[in-house]
Amino acid sequence: MTVLAQREGFQAPGIEEFEWPNLVDLHLFGIDLGINRVVLQMFLVALVVWLLFFLAFRTPKLAPAGLQNVMESLVDFIRNQIVLENIGPDGLRFLPYLTTLFVFIFFGNLGGVLPLISFPLNGRMALPAIMGVSSLLLFIAVGISQQGFLHYFRNALFPPGVPAPIYILLTPIELVSTFIVRPVTLAIRLLANMIAGHLILSVFFVATGYMLTSMNISTLFGVGALLFAVALVAFELFVAGLQAYVFTILSAVYIAGALEPEH
Amino acid sequence: MSQPEPPGKPGGGGDIVWSIIGTLVAGVLAWGAIGWLLDRWLGTEFLVAVGILVGAAGAFYLIIRRYGGG
Repeated sequence: MTVLAQREGFQAPGIEEFEWPNLVDLHLFGIDLGINRVVLQMFLVALVVWLLFFLAFRTPKLAPAGLQNVMESLVDFIRNQIVLENIGPDGLRFLPYLTTLFVFIFFGNLGGVLPLISFPLNGRMALPAIMGVSSLLLFIAVGISQQGFLHYFRNALFPPGVPAPIYILLTPIELVSTFIVRPVTLAIRLLANMIAGHLILSVFFVATGYMLTSMNISTLFGVGALLFAVALVAFELFVAGLQAYVFTILSAVYIAGALEPEH
Repeated sequence: MSQPEPPGKPGGGGDIVWSIIGTLVAGVLAWGAIGWLLDRWLGTEFLVAVGILVGAAGAFYLIIRRYGGG
């Protein structure tokens, strides 16, 4: 780092943008439970999400207005566009889980475009990984409770209507695709989008500052970079919502697959 | 996603694309790993490549069976 800092010219921000030192050191049984900026932001997002729902539905009115109206539209959107469309009426019992997932991911991502916070919570692997695993455990539990242990795993690992010897070929693929690739891709899709978005914004804003203050021909380009950076903030806002939607809808699709075996 | 689907039926669209990509990756990973382990066990070097091809073929078979119309 010291060598880099001494170098002349433009320093592009890199992956060190995602490393935060512990503000409070805490070690339990050799596990680092220290609290850093990301953990604080996680607490903040959890509090904001809780407050939004609490304030919206504390005294629900028959004709919703204000915050209640906004939050009801959100729940309606997840109910109609995600649950009913992908799982059916049977899936309404998963509406609380999927709504929480969507709102938490969205507000976690939103940190990436908010001034003063400027960090997407899901740009660290911990949260996407935990949410990916929780969706995995949920759809396994749904499959077992709906179809029975043996029946569920037989349906998941041995696709019906295939000559028996082919199972030697297909069963390892089904095992990996259902129980490993699904949670891993859920987590990585979200993580990678947030890392890429945060890096792009960092590079554009740092470069804008560098060019605008360089007082030569680059200053002209700095204006263009600034306009582009603002446009990219809008784009990242869109990505924040899109990735929350994709994570939630794929979780719903996996739950639907566990409810109803393949024919 | 704009076309309303009858409820109770998994919606068509983006999730099928992800499922196909996931199956392809899983096929290559699963059989590639089996090939790699066999290579280590037998001291050969070519079984990882065979495994990857077998896995890709198996994944295509699964995808065509599942989504291949008909």
